[in-house]
Amino acid sequence: MATISIDRVGRSFGAVLAVRDISLEIRDGEFFTLLGPSGCGKTTLLRMIAGFSELDAGAIRFGERRIDTLPPHRRNTGMVFQNYAIFPNLTVGDNVAYGLRARKVPARRIAERVGTVLKLVHLDGYAARWPHQLSGGQLQRVAIARALVIEPEVLLLDEPLSNLDAKLRVEMRGEIRQLQQSLGITALYVTHDQEEALAISDRIAVMHAGEIEQIDQPDGIYCRPATPFVAEFMGISNLLAGTVTRRDGARIVATVGATEFVIATSQPAPGQAVAFCLRPEALRVIAAGDTLPPGWFSLAARIARVEFLGALTRLDVELAGGTTLRVALLDPSYDALSIGRALTLAYDPQRATPFQAP
Amino acid sequence: MNIVPPRNAFPLAIAAVAFGFVGLFLLYPLYRVFGASFLDAKGIRFTFENYVRIASSSFYRGSIYNSLSIGVLATLVTTALATPLAFAVARLPIGGKTALVSLAVLPLVLPSFVSAYALLLLVGHAGIVTQALRSIGIPFGSIYGAPGIVLVYALTLYPYVLLPTVAGLKAVDVSVEEASQNLGASRWKSFWTVTFPLVIPSVLSGALLVFIDTLENFGVPFVLAEDKPILAVEAFKLFVGETDTNPASAGVLGVLLVSMAAIVLVIQRRYLARRRFATGAQRSPPLIGIGRGWRILATAYCWGLVLFSLVPFFAVIVIAFLEFRGPVLHAQFSLGNFAELFRRGYRPLVNTLLLSSLAALGVVLLGVPIGYAVTRFRNRLTTLLDIVTTIPFAVAGTVLGIGFILSFNSGWLVLTGGGSIMVLAYTVRKLPFGVRASSAILHQIDPSLEEASINLGVSPMLTFARLTVPLMLGGIVGSMVLTWVTVASELSSTVVLYSGPWQTLTVVMFQALEGTGAGLAAATAALLLFFTVIPVALVYRLLRRHELSLL
Repeated sequence: MATISIDRVGRSFGAVLAVRDISLEIRDGEFFTLLGPSGCGKTTLLRMIAGFSELDAGAIRFGERRIDTLPPHRRNTGMVFQNYAIFPNLTVGDNVAYGLRARKVPARRIAERVGTVLKLVHLDGYAARWPHQLSGGQLQRVAIARALVIEPEVLLLDEPLSNLDAKLRVEMRGEIRQLQQSLGITALYVTHDQEEALAISDRIAVMHAGEIEQIDQPDGIYCRPATPFVAEFMGISNLLAGTVTRRDGARIVATVGATEFVIATSQPAPGQAVAFCLRPEALRVIAAGDTLPPGWFSLAARIARVEFLGALTRLDVELAGGTTLRVALLDPSYDALSIGRALTLAYDPQRATPFQAP
Repeated sequence: MNIVPPRNAFPLAIAAVAFGFVGLFLLYPLYRVFGASFLDAKGIRFTFENYVRIASSSFYRGSIYNSLSIGVLATLVTTALATPLAFAVARLPIGGKTALVSLAVLPLVLPSFVSAYALLLLVGHAGIVTQALRSIGIPFGSIYGAPGIVLVYALTLYPYVLLPTVAGLKAVDVSVEEASQNLGASRWKSFWTVTFPLVIPSVLSGALLVFIDTLENFGVPFVLAEDKPILAVEAFKLFVGETDTNPASAGVLGVLLVSMAAIVLVIQRRYLARRRFATGAQRSPPLIGIGRGWRILATAYCWGLVLFSLVPFFAVIVIAFLEFRGPVLHAQFSLGNFAELFRRGYRPLVNTLLLSSLAALGVVLLGVPIGYAVTRFRNRLTTLLDIVTTIPFAVAGTVLGIGFILSFNSGWLVLTGGGSIMVLAYTVRKLPFGVRASSAILHQIDPSLEEASINLGVSPMLTFARLTVPLMLGGIVGSMVLTWVTVASELSSTVVLYSGPWQTLTVVMFQALEGTGAGLAAATAALLLFFTVIPVALVYRLLRRHELSLL
């Protein structure tokens, strides 16, 4: 169990900078996720910690101990691979015992510990089975058991659920999270699936082109994205750009096209450009005669497109001046949603998130 | 996929051993051959005279011309025969396809000079068929020289074209043909304008391998060339006959032989190996439906070609059990030939078994780690290693043998006159196969398995020994058997390197051919075939997966 300090780490493959000068502190017992599209450097960073990718610059420490100079087999990390990497020539029991044998644990203790950890992942009684007799989900459990049984300082998970079907993925991620919390182990998780990251992480680092765009708790990443990239990567959003026209107490008013938006921030100053995002689900339809919730503001819009998605209905609406906004509605009344119809939308200025000027 | 754990000494250690071995037993002997060609008769003064002498001799110019023209002709004939066969195997509904493919790969492991010798027994000057035809008054032309050599090459080397072409045809995704038809091309037009161009690189790449093999082959021209000079044979004759300190003329022919093969090999690697357009087909195209007549014709062609290529081998076995009175064959069952063979002692058989086993072991012990380093640790050093271990493909056995004698006849390392020099030469010659086979096996093993093992605390070297090697075992056994089999029928370097008690079965055949021991040669050939076919049959299931295509 340890903190992981990543200190100004960099790595390039030829002319491509895979990881650029990243610094990061992962707390003891934390479930930390590296989230980003493929090629963003998240897997390279994880493999640097495991020792399978070399550092061009920087240092990695577990607690106070520097580990990037150690060969990978002496780092005591438990890694769970995307394709499970279960040894096909060994039984489930021998797979789990593999790391213990490498550590010269006495045979009797090995049997005990293998039994305990298999119970932990709900595979008691499977020790004598062969990998080819197991399902994908079971293989995943073996991989986790094999990584946990060596009592690693940190648990590294490289897109462990991407080979499972959707339903099993949701089930397994819950189990992984529960297991990590009950053991109190520091875990570093790599995924490109934002829902998965939001569901299980204590904190998330969103990566893009070898750099960290934002580190925050899941709600912070989702509700207060620091950059347009994070906002877009975390789901369809309205990225808007306009000019600040005036300040109104703790808020500013910005004009986008011919529409005014109120944003709960004091920056930037009037006359300057501002970029911000407004989540589709932060917009609400106000029926004629209804009053606005206190502190909210309204927009006049016209429906341009309706997309029925089951639980959700998406609208594209046009504002005065031609700006298009996306709106997501839960359980709307459909007779009101026909193309070309005018409607009033309302939003909380707290939910309009401005980006720092680049 | 690269699994470079930082600062790992393991690939370095492999590379050091590999470069040491290849340097001493391949590059140094080649350097000596090269050197010999540029020194005068006493081996002291640098000179171009040797090249001038060879170039001004019409006999040796003829040998270059013969080698090249026979090589080109054999390559054309082989390709012309094998490409339709490949197409039929891949795309037509012919009968008994599994059995056909199993039989079609056999010529790759059977000794080609046995086939040449069988041809001699059947249709040579005193051949059975020749005699029979003459006795009923039909004159029979000569199969000596180019026609016989080309025929034997075509019948024994066609799998080199067949296997990659079948693989190429199967790697074309069905969708490209469907797209072509959807755009309005007929089925045949689609095949000729879309599928066929896609497999041309595979065909050419196999054809170039055929060409290289014809250049370096010693046994077939030795048996069938008669007076026609052929480079690989003349190099040997010059080397054995040369009385000067420095075998300058043999050196020149050796350098010519290696250079020609090297040029072809570079072409094959550079331009063709990378021009494989179609890989990883989702779904192979379906068999083409043809009428009954065409189907019978295609089946007859395929089975005819494959069975015809095996006829010489059957004939040798049958002849071995017939009675020879002097050179004359009688149609009477007899074990006399075998009695004669074993009366001379079991030593040649024991030698063949022992030397092949040691060489197969050597190829695996060196080839598997090199294949591992080359596949799993990609850097400049391992790329160089990959290139260097391909060189033996271009080195004729005769030339390597000459280089070995030049290098290890005196000095700090004397090996001539023993069995070890033969084992080392075999190991060097078959090393490329060992490396390519193990690297093919490794491509099927997910590198994350090794990473998982290292992550769990097992060092890279122990991971290789305890996890990777057991996972590779099936493939290793397969490639070991194939190495064993091809070494057992090796003639070109053996004939240069053997001495006194270290005669092998191939040497016995070679000597019997020079003399009048036709029955003895047939019995030896039959014995050799027995020890070739049995091991291959035993591990055929292992081999089917990939190794045969790598020979």
